[in-house]
Amino acid sequence: MTDKRFRDDLSRQGLGRRRLMGAGALGAAGWIAGGGGWLLAPKGAYAADAIKMGIATDITGAIAPSGNADWQVAQFTVEQINKGGGVLGRPIELYLEDTASDPKIAVGNVRKLIQERKVDVVLGGITSAMRQAIKDPIVNRGRTLYIYPQLYEGQECTKHLYCTGPTPAQQCDKLIPYLIKTVGKKRFAMPSANYVWPQLLNKYARKVIEANGGEVVFEEYYPLDQAEYSATIGKIRDGKVDCVFNTVIPPGLQPFFKQLYESGFQKRGGALACVYFDENLLNYLPAEEMDGLYSCLDYFQSVADPFSKQLQADYAKRFPDTKYLFTAGSAATGMYRGIKLYEVAVKATNGDLKREVVSAAYDKAKIDQGPGGGAEMVPAHMHCKMNMYIAQCKVDAGKPRYDIIGKSDMVDPKEC
Amino acid sequence: MGDEVKLAFDLLAFISVMVLIVLGLGIIASMMGIFNFAHGEFVLLGAYTVYLFESSGWSAWAGILAAPVVLAIVGLVLERLVIRRFYAAPIVAMLGTYAIGLMIRETIRALLGGQYKSINEPLSGAFTVFGLNFSVWRTVIVLTTILVIAGTWLFLSRTSTGLQVRGALENPNLARACGISTGKLYAATFAFGAALAGLAGALIVPLYQLSADIGTRFLVQAFLSVMLGGVGTFEGPVLGAAAVGGMAAGLPWIVIPVLADPLVFVIALAIVKFRPQGFITQGRI
Repeated sequence: MTDKRFRDDLSRQGLGRRRLMGAGALGAAGWIAGGGGWLLAPKGAYAADAIKMGIATDITGAIAPSGNADWQVAQFTVEQINKGGGVLGRPIELYLEDTASDPKIAVGNVRKLIQERKVDVVLGGITSAMRQAIKDPIVNRGRTLYIYPQLYEGQECTKHLYCTGPTPAQQCDKLIPYLIKTVGKKRFAMPSANYVWPQLLNKYARKVIEANGGEVVFEEYYPLDQAEYSATIGKIRDGKVDCVFNTVIPPGLQPFFKQLYESGFQKRGGALACVYFDENLLNYLPAEEMDGLYSCLDYFQSVADPFSKQLQADYAKRFPDTKYLFTAGSAATGMYRGIKLYEVAVKATNGDLKREVVSAAYDKAKIDQGPGGGAEMVPAHMHCKMNMYIAQCKVDAGKPRYDIIGKSDMVDPKEC
Repeated sequence: MGDEVKLAFDLLAFISVMVLIVLGLGIIASMMGIFNFAHGEFVLLGAYTVYLFESSGWSAWAGILAAPVVLAIVGLVLERLVIRRFYAAPIVAMLGTYAIGLMIRETIRALLGGQYKSINEPLSGAFTVFGLNFSVWRTVIVLTTILVIAGTWLFLSRTSTGLQVRGALENPNLARACGISTGKLYAATFAFGAALAGLAGALIVPLYQLSADIGTRFLVQAFLSVMLGGVGTFEGPVLGAAAVGGMAAGLPWIVIPVLADPLVFVIALAIVKFRPQGFITQGRI
């Protein structure tokens, strides 16, 4: 590429590019002239052609913090693989396209990955709306393998689309019996944001609650930016609710948690559970409002197995002082798992990158180690078994942290 | 009994939030005939001031005190530069103030990096009376709202400046003929309205979260309050805000929450249909 061409591209795409530069996480990658996008080229010499991996995630827009964490973890994981000699001697080249937290923009950008970059696999998407928007251009029209890394509401059973984040079964099957049998809570309230994830998660959680002898006092959906929850608090009080299973998300989350705390719910012995709470949320709310909260995810930074600890340390060395954490809630652990499973699958096909062949291998892929432990695809079910952890938020001198209080090995996703 | 008191307090607290936000909007609309679509962003700027103070190591209290002053200056500058050109054309004023609001909102969004920021209450926790818990900060908001309403009312009805403001509203030409500088009065009124918005933003931000959209969330309901209460009076918008706030907080008791917001509008618009002048049509102070 000549300087002249590069400059032309700069002026044509200047605004979007500068905005991307501001995102910070892109520092290591180079911008590809002629069409935009970012490329992380492998360093050093390899025996064979590179494997092209596309990452489509939200570098800008409302959920940019999660998207940037995903991109950093993708870089981190691929660099580790390349440092170890690549996959069967072939390095992985990473191509990034910004999905901009906006499905309309995403579809066009994802198409670039498929048509111009001709990537062998695409990983990414965080919200379900995003997955729904980009899966067709990738899987059907694009005839490319797609891996979706975020915890979500389940029921995604598209062929050649593999999900590496936890499902409702994985998040509820251990946590809810624990809340009922061990913590001793019986009367549940389900305050929720009004969209698909809470609706389907609640549907599953309700079954588990009722099967374990608990009772759902009310299940309610609010506009995402609702500011006033006194009616909800009143129903919690009147209904003698002793466990709030929360799926309210920001920006409605903060006023709800504040009013719940001020009502003295926790002081009266009420338990609060919220299965999307990871380390990113710790500094997001006042510590006292989170004290005692139960969460259930595939990984917490306090998980003490040596591999996870080393992974965190290496990540911290690669991205010192980063604000984009390697956590479960923002799809970062699913991203790691998704890439490593792909590595295993390509090894199994002996380097054959044809979609049907890799997909068949991916369907049976298994990794022994990862954040929180290994993972194993459940053949023909498009989802993977993984370890799940129940954690409780504890506050010490105003500083919140998660204490692991339960681990379940290789929990079944129960999907498809 | 205890539950009813608690419910009444929660309603009162949310009504206070609404009244605080509507007050500045109502005063500018009533006294100047300008519907200030940048009002939500003035609230945002007030909240952002507190955030700036807190993040640079000052106490949140200093930020809360500074917010109305900062906003008064912002309001004054905007009035002198832009708003005064709109007095003859209220519709253009709506679009103009909307544009100003958009600029402020997107600038702050860029400064915040599109993120949500939490600001802790300067006085957190709850106090207990007769075995009932009351949030300290919500109590502060209720008391401040009462003080602000009383202070503003006394200012408009009992001082000579207040008389001039009302005179300029009733009949600008006559006021000018009497030697009152309506230009200066309008500038001062706009600055005052902006300062109230700043105070509102500073006080409510610990209850919610600082994001670029904190003001927009309330703006439409605030306009509804002004319409419901009646333009041209001081009490009207306050009563309107109380009605809208009370409905917004109370309706989720009766109907499913996603229906509550639209229902507030339906009820308010039905009232406006039968009382197009709003609640208060007579007895202007």
